[in-house]
Amino acid sequence: MGFSILSFLRHIFSGLHASQRENAVALTIVEMQELENIFALLLLGSFVGLPSPPTFLAVELLPFMEKELRILNRRAKDADDMLAEMCGVLGID
Amino acid sequence: MRILFFTGKGGVGKSTMAAAAAWQLSKKNRVLIVSIDPAHSLGDIFGVTLKNSKSRFTDTLHLKEIDLHKLSKEYLQREINVLSNTYRYLRTLNLDRYFSVLKYSPGIEEYALLTGIEETIRDEGNFDYIIFDTPPTGLTLRFLALPRVTITWIDRLIQIRQKILEKRYTIHRIRGVLSKEETLLSYNEGDDDVLKRLRTLKDNSQALNTILQGEDCTIVLVFNPDILSLKESQRLIEGLEDLELPLRLLIDNKLTEENIEAAERVERDIRNRKDVPLERVFLSKALLDNKGGRLYDIPEDIISKL
Repeated sequence: MGFSILSFLRHIFSGLHASQRENAVALTIVEMQELENIFALLLLGSFVGLPSPPTFLAVELLPFMEKELRILNRRAKDADDMLAEMCGVLGID
Repeated sequence: MRILFFTGKGGVGKSTMAAAAAWQLSKKNRVLIVSIDPAHSLGDIFGVTLKNSKSRFTDTLHLKEIDLHKLSKEYLQREINVLSNTYRYLRTLNLDRYFSVLKYSPGIEEYALLTGIEETIRDEGNFDYIIFDTPPTGLTLRFLALPRVTITWIDRLIQIRQKILEKRYTIHRIRGVLSKEETLLSYNEGDDDVLKRLRTLKDNSQALNTILQGEDCTIVLVFNPDILSLKESQRLIEGLEDLELPLRLLIDNKLTEENIEAAERVERDIRNRKDVPLERVFLSKALLDNKGGRLYDIPEDIISKL
């Protein structure tokens, strides 16, 4: 019984610790995703009228860009509700 | 090995001058002449049929025509293979259908052309001279500019990519080991496929740029004694200066006794802009007198001033 309480507490503390670490990196993750979004936009910018690099660069990197394309897609979907996006980033409920 | 590019406005006689230079040089050297102009006329000049393969004209002169359409198709096929190998689940899709439209994207043709030039220079090292007969000014400037434009873009993309990897590293250090369900993203520069590919592309572009700007590379500008040719030649010289490419010879083609004054004016204007050796090529007098015979009176060694 004593062992299971100890294990339960350990579980709670480890969860709290993980949550603290998640909070600490939350903004860095948003920043990283923004950079990944910018990277994809720069490469594939011709689709939305941005000055773009030679097309072959986009073709050459396409096989390795799955994650960036997912982010780009998600950002395009969320673009009409930027207020909610900002509230999410700043942790306002 | 020396590399010569014959450039100029459409119809000024680039192919004829390139063919004459190749023929003359082949008397003492091993020469390969390559047509990269989509309107191939090299085969017609030498009176042979070239089908996108290297053809031996004499022991020391070989001819080649590069098929842009085929090159673009091969390039996109290579990319489809990489894509299918990276994401195996995509194999069920018919990717060819999606990629077939890409061959019409701006830039793909220029890149395919540049790849063709790069491969020729790399694979044909046993020739003393490789002469390229280029397409008209616009396309030529675009593909010659491609390595430099590419390097500029790649530098910016590498900077952003490095920042992404730094952020990933920070997140990894704080978060620690991820659960099995989450994929560990690469945070080391040596592990990131995108960065590795960017660096390879940059190395390739830099190597090609070094060749194009090097001592062994020569751009020959062919023009006619008329205003349109003058204006386009001036634009080409400006473009070549921006790209730091070595224009080393001017050829004033299709001269006659009647247009010699205009020719002198055009030559003066061009040489005011860029003072490089000039060669004159007259239209054959016999032809003008309607006595048939040769089209041009081409000097015995057209590129002796190089």
